[in-house]
Amino acid sequence: MPTENRPNVLLKVAGVSKRFGGLHALDAVDLAIATGSIHAIIGPNGAGKSTLLNVLTGLIAPDSGTVEFDGRSLLGLPTYEINQRGIARVFQTPQVFPEMSLLENVALAALAARDGSFRVNFFQHPARLDAVRERAEALLADIGLGAFLQTEARHLSRGDKRRLELAICLAHKPRLLLLDEPTAGMSHHETHSTVALLRRIAKEGMTKVIIEHDMDVVFSLADRITVLHQGRVIAEGTPDAIRGNPIVQEAYLGGVHA
Amino acid sequence: MITPFGARSRYREFWIMSGVAAVLAALPWLLTLIGGYTELATPILLWGMFALGFDILLGFTGLLSFGHAAFWGLGGYASGMILLRVSNDLLLAVAAGTVVGGAASALLGYLTLRRRGIYFSILTLAFAEMFYYAALAPLQDWTGGDNGLTGIPAAQLFGIAMKGWPIYAVIAAATFAGIYVARRIARSPYGLILRAIKANETRVASTGIHTRHYKFAAFVISGLYAGLAGALSAAYQTYVPTDALHWTTSGQLVMMAVIGGTGTLFGPMLGAGIVLYLQNVLSATIPQWLLVQGLIFMAFVVFLPGGVVEAGRRLARALSRGRKRQPPVPDAASVKGVGSVHAD
Repeated sequence: MPTENRPNVLLKVAGVSKRFGGLHALDAVDLAIATGSIHAIIGPNGAGKSTLLNVLTGLIAPDSGTVEFDGRSLLGLPTYEINQRGIARVFQTPQVFPEMSLLENVALAALAARDGSFRVNFFQHPARLDAVRERAEALLADIGLGAFLQTEARHLSRGDKRRLELAICLAHKPRLLLLDEPTAGMSHHETHSTVALLRRIAKEGMTKVIIEHDMDVVFSLADRITVLHQGRVIAEGTPDAIRGNPIVQEAYLGGVHA
Repeated sequence: MITPFGARSRYREFWIMSGVAAVLAALPWLLTLIGGYTELATPILLWGMFALGFDILLGFTGLLSFGHAAFWGLGGYASGMILLRVSNDLLLAVAAGTVVGGAASALLGYLTLRRRGIYFSILTLAFAEMFYYAALAPLQDWTGGDNGLTGIPAAQLFGIAMKGWPIYAVIAAATFAGIYVARRIARSPYGLILRAIKANETRVASTGIHTRHYKFAAFVISGLYAGLAGALSAAYQTYVPTDALHWTTSGQLVMMAVIGGTGTLFGPMLGAGIVLYLQNVLSATIPQWLLVQGLIFMAFVVFLPGGVVEAGRRLARALSRGRKRQPPVPDAASVKGVGSVHAD
């Protein structure tokens, strides 16, 4: 799994808490994501999973705790800077640009990968964008949407929108990919092909954090699983250990308190 | 839609700019054909340039500013004061007006872009009104107060007095350059990024882009256009009315952009032409002209938010559908099918 001199732990979350009024959305959450692993976060609705991703991507500032990516703190950094450091996110509801073509959707991300967070190139000739266009076309071909470069994204099915969003994220060659319920709202067939796609990307050594409700997907993909319940980590371990954990079964899989 | 990533032919831009040149050359004469007069062409181009820059902010980036009168007015005052007190060189006056418009927009943009939506719009309105009242009373020794800046001498360019046809030629050339630059911006990375910000700012930020920097750039670009147009307007009118800074100027600009069709660059220019034409031709016969203008604006917002350009597109689509019965895009089912198969 870990190679060369890369740190074994890519993302380290320690003691992160976040309150919304009286609600403890996150309560002293610890999390360590190993480099190259697929780490699933599961838990019932309202367990704090999406809040945790919002903290990791700088959309929400935690009340306390630390977040370190590759040994450097992420706290206080704006969203675009966190992305430029190598963390990309697929949102729970697909976030694409409906009125833009598929090519433009992915080219935007390829541009951000080429130019960084800001560059003064408002007079740049379109011919200088050929490399960006080729990269976007290659990414779209890779996810199987290469035949629809000039189609507007609003014409896509929900499943294909998510694949498009995945291509947007991959344009940066992120070191950590955050996936918020990547198969939600997909048909059985779409789920199957998305899992295959994620597995193929996993072979390229990209670290992934995946939030998922579909237990088949979780147990077939994840190397490690963290269980959140009411903002707290109640269990962490390998898929087999989680499956057999009585606390987890009571809190989540059995659905007693869920 | 103008995009750097379209499937377009190589000579498209050449033909479009040739068409622009032809329209600019023929506009004064075209106006006489529809009951207007040749002199109307100059204000149409000045407001057209103002609206063109504004479209980069409103139509592309999705930011509704109610304060652009400030940049048009300050550009006009700067240009007028240079001509009045320093030199009658048109280039110097126009350069000063453009720089002042751009600098004022940088200041306002820095302050107002910290807020979004209606708060941004209100802030731009409030700041612009501050300039209006500053020009009206505390600075009246400089601005002429209520009377406006009067007695501006005719500018000169390469020894030619800037009035009548010569100044129309200069303004038409500036408009041509303005359109060329705006289309280049729309086809640069900025065009794509600004449109994306309008659609979903969080997604753009999550893709590693510093959205506030790009919004600031769009704001200053529109301020430079406003300053340039205002400066040329002062030289053309040899007069800067205090109204140039008034919020009604901003309101008229928004109206032109919406009537013409935002996000299309040509649309707001067309809107400027339509509003000024109706204002000058109909106001002679209809005393309640402003009431009619308000009704026209409301009709567009309610029934045709895409403006005249969208109306033209729908008409063209209806006509082409009559000829060949084919859907313009693949339906969702076929997209999904191929997408799923290839990934396995």
